[in-house]
Amino acid sequence: MKGMKFLKVSVLSVFLASALGLAASAQAGVAEGKKAFETKKCAGCHQAQGPAKEKTIQDQLAKKGPELWYAGSKFQPGFLEGWLKDPKPIRPMEYYSLTKKNTGSHQKLSAQEAADVAAYLMSLKSADVKVAIQPRDNPKGRAIFIKKQSCYGCHEVKVRGNAAGGVTGPSLASAATRLQADWIYAYLSNPKVFKPVKDMPNYDGILTDAELKDLAAYVGSLN
Amino acid sequence: MIKTSKKGIVTAITLAGVLLLNVSGAMAATAEENYKFYCAQCHGLQGRGDGPNALPSMPVSPRDHTSAPEMNKLTDDDIMNAIADGGPATSKSSLMPPFGKTLSKSEIVALKDHLRKLCNCKGKGK
Repeated sequence: MKGMKFLKVSVLSVFLASALGLAASAQAGVAEGKKAFETKKCAGCHQAQGPAKEKTIQDQLAKKGPELWYAGSKFQPGFLEGWLKDPKPIRPMEYYSLTKKNTGSHQKLSAQEAADVAAYLMSLKSADVKVAIQPRDNPKGRAIFIKKQSCYGCHEVKVRGNAAGGVTGPSLASAATRLQADWIYAYLSNPKVFKPVKDMPNYDGILTDAELKDLAAYVGSLN
Repeated sequence: MIKTSKKGIVTAITLAGVLLLNVSGAMAATAEENYKFYCAQCHGLQGRGDGPNALPSMPVSPRDHTSAPEMNKLTDDDIMNAIADGGPATSKSSLMPPFGKTLSKSEIVALKDHLRKLCNCKGKGK
């Protein structure tokens, strides 16, 4: 009986602890995150207010990091918080560099700061991400990625557990845990809104809308 | 005597600005700028086919744009078709992507001229 009581108390404690944990992460504040984003000078590298302003190649090359003004529509919930606590390179090369390898020098945030900044960034949504795309491995998307357009020429993917592919684009090896398939489709079909000047070709008008959807679903499933 | 109204000048300037915009909405860049931004990822900053994506694991190597024997195998149209529609347009690998919806026609012509300077060659049939 005593053992039973102990078990009950233990279960209760675990339940309480996880409930408290949930409450703690739910307390992650958008306002606190915005403040931390400012004090840590994140805007020095990341644009947090839209719309896109780049008009020339020089405008794009002047940027030191990816735009985050649509982060809430781009990233998977939970990804940013985890990444900010333990940042690992997403691009094999430094942002838009052809000569410098990405050594992963992004600043690391404390657990609370990471939760707050992630909450703030996830509040930044884009009205241009409209169509719901279900991430799924599909033969048409896979054929476009591997054969028809050879996207792996610039984007790293996992082949039998090992990284393979080009290095100038962001890695897509763990795209499923990082990116929303809806955003991948929006980015492919309407690149001007998100990144008017980019070193990746525009595929809108080259691939059909149905092909872009299959491709977005496939990329969104890569893991 | 030709009278030039203020409105006319503004219209002309706006029109010139619109003409400078390429298909992606970006301002037109020089061929060299475009080459370093788009092409050098695979073909290298000097055009030797040694950009960061030119890895041994890739099924084909990017063309060396400084090689006259290689570049003389192509006509000017071959080059422009490959830039606009990708490698398969000239029976080559799809690792060469299509830039027809990224660069304007005049930018593609300028890039072709830039490649002819890099190889110092005139191309097939010339």
